[in-house]
Amino acid sequence: MSGLFLLLLALPLGTAVASALLGSGRAAAVRWLSLGSALASLLLATILSVQFAAARLDQTSTDAKSPSTFPDEWIRFSTRTNLLPLHTTANGTVDSAIQFYVGIDGLNVWLILLTALLMVSSVLVSWTAITERVNEFHAWLFVLQLGMTGVFASFDIILFYAFFELTLVPLFFLIGIWGGPQRQYAARKFFIYTLTGSLVTLLGIVSLALTLPQIESQRDPTRTPLLTFAIPELIAKVDALNDKLPKDIQELEQAPPDFEPHLLKERRERLDSWHRVQMWVFLAMMCGFAVKVPMVPVHTWLPLAHVEAPTAGSVLLAGVLLKLGTYGFLRLCVPLAPDASLRIGAPLLGGLAVVGILYGAFCALAQDDVKKLVAYSSVSHLGYCMLGLFALNEVGMTGSLMQMINHGLSTGALFLLVGMLYERYHTRKMADYGGMGSRLHLMAVFMVFITMSSVGLPGLNGFLGEWLVISGMYDFTGTQVRGTLLAGLSAVGVVLGAWYMLTMVRQIFFGPLKEPHREGHGVIGDLNGRELATLVPLAVLCLALGVYPKPFFKAVSPEIRVLAGIADAARRRAAAEQSPVPPRDIRQAATATEKK
Amino acid sequence: MNPNLVTALTGYLPYLVPEMLLGAAACVLFLGGTWRANRHLWGGVALVSLAMAALALSFNPLPHYESASVADASRYASPVMLDRLALLLRGVSLAGGLLLVLLCWDSMPENRAAEYHACLLLMVAGMGLCAAANELVTLFLALELTSIPTYLILYLGKSSTPNDGLDAAGQEAAMKYFLLSIFSSALTLFGFSYLYGMAGTTNLPGLADAFRRASDLSAATEPTVPSPLMGMGMVALVMVVAGLGFRLTAVPFHFYAPDVYQGTTTANAAVLAFVPKVAGFAALVRVLGFVLPNLSHEVFTATLSRPILREQLPILLWIVAAVTMTLGNLLGLLQDNLRRLLAYSSVAHAGYMLIGLAAAPRLLDAFDAPVDGVDAVFFYLVTYGAMTLGAFGVLQYLSSSGQKAETVDDLAGLSKTRPGLALIMVLFLFSLIGIPFTAGFMGKFLLFAGALDVPPSQETTFWPPDQRTLFVGLALLAALNAAIGGWYYLRIAAVMYLRDPSPLAAAAEGKRSWPTLAAVGLCGALTLGIGINPDPLKRAVQSAVPRLTDMVSVSAVEH
Repeated sequence: MSGLFLLLLALPLGTAVASALLGSGRAAAVRWLSLGSALASLLLATILSVQFAAARLDQTSTDAKSPSTFPDEWIRFSTRTNLLPLHTTANGTVDSAIQFYVGIDGLNVWLILLTALLMVSSVLVSWTAITERVNEFHAWLFVLQLGMTGVFASFDIILFYAFFELTLVPLFFLIGIWGGPQRQYAARKFFIYTLTGSLVTLLGIVSLALTLPQIESQRDPTRTPLLTFAIPELIAKVDALNDKLPKDIQELEQAPPDFEPHLLKERRERLDSWHRVQMWVFLAMMCGFAVKVPMVPVHTWLPLAHVEAPTAGSVLLAGVLLKLGTYGFLRLCVPLAPDASLRIGAPLLGGLAVVGILYGAFCALAQDDVKKLVAYSSVSHLGYCMLGLFALNEVGMTGSLMQMINHGLSTGALFLLVGMLYERYHTRKMADYGGMGSRLHLMAVFMVFITMSSVGLPGLNGFLGEWLVISGMYDFTGTQVRGTLLAGLSAVGVVLGAWYMLTMVRQIFFGPLKEPHREGHGVIGDLNGRELATLVPLAVLCLALGVYPKPFFKAVSPEIRVLAGIADAARRRAAAEQSPVPPRDIRQAATATEKK
Repeated sequence: MNPNLVTALTGYLPYLVPEMLLGAAACVLFLGGTWRANRHLWGGVALVSLAMAALALSFNPLPHYESASVADASRYASPVMLDRLALLLRGVSLAGGLLLVLLCWDSMPENRAAEYHACLLLMVAGMGLCAAANELVTLFLALELTSIPTYLILYLGKSSTPNDGLDAAGQEAAMKYFLLSIFSSALTLFGFSYLYGMAGTTNLPGLADAFRRASDLSAATEPTVPSPLMGMGMVALVMVVAGLGFRLTAVPFHFYAPDVYQGTTTANAAVLAFVPKVAGFAALVRVLGFVLPNLSHEVFTATLSRPILREQLPILLWIVAAVTMTLGNLLGLLQDNLRRLLAYSSVAHAGYMLIGLAAAPRLLDAFDAPVDGVDAVFFYLVTYGAMTLGAFGVLQYLSSSGQKAETVDDLAGLSKTRPGLALIMVLFLFSLIGIPFTAGFMGKFLLFAGALDVPPSQETTFWPPDQRTLFVGLALLAALNAAIGGWYYLRIAAVMYLRDPSPLAAAAEGKRSWPTLAAVGLCGALTLGIGINPDPLKRAVQSAVPRLTDMVSVSAVEH
């Protein structure tokens, strides 16, 4: 089965090369080839994810042996080969290398499926919208698919980064060549913003991988620790250090009074330096991922890029690329720097997320351009993902992951609809429209439906995600004013969200008919078959996820539980450090309450 | 005379056949050029002689000494040292020479072709000898062997007829390079004279031994008083770094680069971007004792554990690296002329490479480090060569086929007029930025990994600050610099892909220069190949640079 999964990575690459080679003359052939390839990818992704989910549904017990590590067997359809050996033993076997390590687990399975699904929509929506350099357009589109799928599938930290950066290149061209009037500026701004952030991320991940063996060998000079870049192994190492370093200190504290004070001092210093390492690594990783999400102070590239991008670019940018940031936090930041995530991440990023929710919502309210409105709504919605993620508990992180999928579906569909409207009237100013519901019946139906999903109507997917995120902010284990405050503020964001979305729908589709004047256009028709084929799957999934989310939750829950376990362990450590009573008692008490 | 010494003094000659062949071929070309003016003929001769040199090198790659005493004698007596590093760099210079001959094929007037190619061959020989030098004198001569032909090609490349002189910019470029190069040679020589004065020998392993003995002595007699050798050693170090810094285009010795690159032809600029860098880094590594031939573990650690090299050198190189990459990238932002832009780019890349050298002495403390700094430098040097020569090759191809390629705007809409060429140029540009799956990314990754692996100082003092902090800071600076660099490389990509071609460019359809195209294709294949499968190159540089950890394990096996 891992062969099928590799095919999912090889197919976009092959299609990209093939459509580039087909030449600019054969536009129709390129389009059909792309559609075929996108559908084949979707089929592959569906087969793999259905199998994965079915296996998870059958599983009765999905608890890991240790509550805070990811066992290797959870990664299914995996492939693992050495790309760049960095160290070989005396007898010639490679013991540390950058690896090509890909697979599917609970965290990425739905995101990979979402990518494949939105690719089909993107190809279909570009069918008539893109008329120039059609082969190049599709080639870059499929390189983008390769990059996005690769990021989600990677279990090697350097491979992850490589795919993460690879996504910049095709999107730069997609925005820059086929975008709106300000496309050059938008493309370059997007590229440089994300490049700057992710280069710092690279430093963070490389220095983490290099520092871990150093600390391990300081702790236990007898054995030589291995350098590894595989994410599950790194998580296990971080977990072991987090567990052992405080224990080393306790051991000496509870030892007979003739213990060696310099040894205690040394061990304390080692723990401190480990905490410093975690903090810097967290901050470095944050730089790249926060730009990608985007968090509020570094979000300015997003509205510009969204507005200038062609519809397919906007759909993939909003639907998938923004999730690379949140996915990075979930996959790397939280498990690799749990203490720093708790100390810095939760207050800083949680706070910024709420600021983003409100700021994005207010900006969206002020927009006249529909596309810009949807772009700012993305800033606001991604705030929910981040808020739930840095609730650092099971409910919040599940909600965050669900919100990623929801946002991909609903905002993807919104960008598709806006693109279809623009293709008809060549204007995106809301003031130009009015009462379009009487002209474009089907489009109005879809727009209202997707808006409902986006604002979180119960019964549709958006409701579940937002509800989980907000309830995740209430820390049931202890009374925390901060969580409640943030939850309250983010609930205000929900109201604002409904306000700007419904205002937009009313302005465009209801009221007296006001059709934008357009020179020399023919009869403006309602959605055609191709456009319906683009929208219907997204709408159906919005409904399905809202009504029957069990497969989703069941598939993601083991991994989320582990992440929550890691975060809980960090909480216990923080509590133990702050409490004046001997630390060990607290730990026992905590485990005791946990058992009840 | 000691028979071992005789063997050592004569035995190396068969191993220098490649360089001799190149020299002989250069003579043939110089003479033959008077007889017939045909660029294809003389270009072909140059290619054949490079191929023969490569063949000779592959027949006799590494010397086999009959006994350990012969090996030891040749270590201290032979003017050249034929270790794996020399082998790697001689191979790299032959490959670079092949690319340069192809790239420059159509760049010079027909009647200057023979002389031009002869100069290229001499430079290739010079680069190889630089890498193999075991003597300060050999090293200096080899450096001059790369410089003197450069002065010639700066005059040869530009004029189209024999009576037609250089234009003002070309004259300025040639003169500027000539004077500054001589100045830098004098600086280097001044530094060498200090080394000789202190140690009484010009032999590099001998120098290392002498320094070790001297500081052992001073440590034994007066441990608190700093040895007077320290001060003289600093003078020598600074002079050598300054003199060689000119060849690396390290700030503040980079001033000539933008003017010279802009004033001369594209092909000459390509030569200047590659040849002096290889020679300079090889010389720096040799003379500072990073890689001493046939060293024993004891000598190696002894050399580098001396205060000058261990404490002062990383700081000096740290500063030079930081300033070089920052200034190069910031000034690169302001450029409109393509060659000038690539000149600042090559300044910036020299800065990146210096990170590896700066980190190398500190990495000796890090046991089991995945890179040891010096190997990352040579890895980067190869990738830099591939992508920079490729970028220059594209420009050269355009100008030889009749399209103007002087300023960034001249490339407007290249993706429409020449899609394939634009695509491969984008590959080089993204590699220069350091996007994954290109050679530039792997190069940067290894350099960063070296800087990030520097272990913390044993004792923390206010000054000098903690080494780890310093080098993480340097890596961070390099990352930010890569992002700044991204802006101007991306500007070229944006102009090619996002703008419409000017009618002039669309109309220009000159003759095709197939050799240049072949050079561009080879560079493209290298850039992509190393990016996707960096393992072979990594192995090659790793085996070329002996590592402390490997040597420990080897000596453990031997005993």
